[in-house]
Amino acid sequence: MNDRFTAIATEARDRWEAARASGREQVSLCLDTSSLARGGAETLAALQQAVAAKGLNVDIQTTGSWGFCWLEPTVSVRSAAGTRTVLYHSLTPDRVEEFVQSVLVEAGELPELALGVVEGAPSDQVGMLDDHPFMQGQIRRLMANCGQIDPENIDHYLANGGYEGFVKSLDMEPEAIIELMLESGLGGRGGAGFPAGRKWDFLRNATAEPRYLVCNADEGDPGAWVNRILMEGDPHLIIEGMLIAAMATNSVEGYIYIRHEYPLSIERMNVAVEQARERGLLGEDILGSGKTFDLVVFVGAGSYVCGEETGLINSIDGYRGMPRIRPPFPAQAGLWNLPTNVNNVETYANAPLVLRHGAAWWSGVSDDEAKGTKMFTISGAVNQPGCVEIPFGLSVRELLEKYGAGTPDGVPLKGYQPGGPLSGVLSAEEADLPLTLAPFRDRGLFLGSGGIVFFDETTSVVDLCTYFLGFAEDESCGRCTTCFQGTQRAVEILRRIGSGGGRESDLDKFEDLIQTMTWSNCLHGSFAMTTVKLALRYFREEFETLIREKRDPTRSLPGMITYEVTSPGDPALPEAAAICPTEAIVEAGSSYDIVDELCIRCGACAEVAPDAVTVRDRFV
Amino acid sequence: MAAEPTTRELRELVAEYEFERGHLLPALIEIQEHYGYVSREAIEVLARQLRTTPALIYGAVSFYADFRTEPPPEREISWCSGPACRLRGGDRIREALQRTLDLPLDGQSEDGAYGLRLGQCNGTCSEAPQVWVDGEVVGGLTVAGAVALAREVKGDA
Repeated sequence: MNDRFTAIATEARDRWEAARASGREQVSLCLDTSSLARGGAETLAALQQAVAAKGLNVDIQTTGSWGFCWLEPTVSVRSAAGTRTVLYHSLTPDRVEEFVQSVLVEAGELPELALGVVEGAPSDQVGMLDDHPFMQGQIRRLMANCGQIDPENIDHYLANGGYEGFVKSLDMEPEAIIELMLESGLGGRGGAGFPAGRKWDFLRNATAEPRYLVCNADEGDPGAWVNRILMEGDPHLIIEGMLIAAMATNSVEGYIYIRHEYPLSIERMNVAVEQARERGLLGEDILGSGKTFDLVVFVGAGSYVCGEETGLINSIDGYRGMPRIRPPFPAQAGLWNLPTNVNNVETYANAPLVLRHGAAWWSGVSDDEAKGTKMFTISGAVNQPGCVEIPFGLSVRELLEKYGAGTPDGVPLKGYQPGGPLSGVLSAEEADLPLTLAPFRDRGLFLGSGGIVFFDETTSVVDLCTYFLGFAEDESCGRCTTCFQGTQRAVEILRRIGSGGGRESDLDKFEDLIQTMTWSNCLHGSFAMTTVKLALRYFREEFETLIREKRDPTRSLPGMITYEVTSPGDPALPEAAAICPTEAIVEAGSSYDIVDELCIRCGACAEVAPDAVTVRDRFV
Repeated sequence: MAAEPTTRELRELVAEYEFERGHLLPALIEIQEHYGYVSREAIEVLARQLRTTPALIYGAVSFYADFRTEPPPEREISWCSGPACRLRGGDRIREALQRTLDLPLDGQSEDGAYGLRLGQCNGTCSEAPQVWVDGEVVGGLTVAGAVALAREVKGDA
């Protein structure tokens, strides 16, 4: 073991232990983007104020997320003796006073807000956190620190085994590191699952110098926030992973490319990089080893195709983020045309675990052909939008029911999107597929980066297609006619079908587009029609009903419905008329009429006067 | 936020940036953080600094959704375009916002008092459907709520 590192880690552990043995209660508030959206910053201020006002002997720190995103802000309380820690949820600012009084002042429990006991013994009213339905079956390896440590304090990371994997790699030959990665079976977590070890080996064998690493933190798939959870919860894990990759490939500099929509991730990664530099873990002559590697946090500016590795490289290089034509591949000509390796955040984050615990431990988590654990975020028609870490192989339905707590109001599941706008849609019949690479590949799509979006029977599949193709159209870089014109054409046809103008020949036009768009240069164009392709496979009837009967079975497409006043005397109607943004609801004698030409089908009136306004089919 | 950028100020602001060192985006982000937008003048100054053409700079400015070429409005509703929001009426909210404000997405009123922007999902999907008003999340929105919000931002309510 490296002496300098031993000294650094020992000091960090001493400070961590001293803080935990302070004899004060420790309150750890999750402050990530989801928590902030639910008032986390105000909760923190209210907590600090209450603790100061009452003169309590309490330390307050902030952490990343446990994954209970729908129950933020979450907060854990560790007893002064350090024998017991309880995690609570939904600590909104208005609940802080009651919380401080019963939990901190009276040293009791607040069972109605308790998620479970993290360490120590359960009580009659509060069980163990591991037994919480949302935690059962999860294996927290990548997320081991998330919610438990302060992501802005490198001591916390070091005290929990941090950078030990990197230090091991310092004494290894690059070939041996790569051999270990190959043995583990770690596949890229961005969606394709390409073996990380092989990708690193391409860079190791490159002829030119210097070499670069890029971490793709441009998590642009709407509905995915796996990378954000890691960056906001345990940023050093990513830095350590990149350091290991640097040792395996003799790279000198790395870029972490983060989308600008993630300001807190940017801030925390910057803080972490700075702290790692201060401890001599980044920069020149790292830990006296003679090795040099440094990191730059690079901020994107709003472009989905920059998530494609060569688009991302162009973006850093100082050009429009247009994906390049390959070959040459990044391992030959990446950043500034020099050898470069691009991996996803979650891919790098796994490397320290492989180094610390060995390939057998890492891959032994399940029998699935895809090795290791995978983080998933679940959203859409679910009761519990959150983030989980599980071994590959769990079924989609289990993910929905066990962790998402099913669909809201018991509306049956209609289908799901496994991972991003290019990954397509599958129907509920396919909900028994195991979450691993092969079954999705066999169906002509890919599992994606981990953002799973569920939709229920109230959703029109044509609306979904219009949405995802519209997204692909907006985000097309403009290089390939097949892509930028193809997506436009697809959206035009979908809109026409969705407003009663569908033609029999439209379905053949889709087949044409499905074929021609695969000739686009990058995945963006060649996969953009996946949604339509699969929608036609699983939901063809819905298209046919729209085209032949001019009827939308979900009665949700704006172009297929009208609103009508059906209960003339309803007292809510004046309010409905007042909220209408287009003044389409006009007085007619003693009641109201909806002027169809003015109505934009926004449904505001039906929300305000649900008993008076009825949605009808427009053409039937 | 500074008012009208002067050439001299702009030159000082971008003086540290170099050509082909991955500096284009950081320079543009710094300009926008400072002035709120990237002006025509800024594009020309930056082109000289990076020893490239204004066309290349403008190409990047127009490519990335985050860059603005006019000063931002005083108040802004950013509409979340993510799927979880879409599944809960997000598109009807967009339609209602556009009509109430009489603006397209990424448009703003002539006097610069208010604007509407297309926002991207940041994974706070438990709040769906949501918008950001001047950067603050307003979640669990109804269409009627969105209309009321837009009227308030517009100064009609």
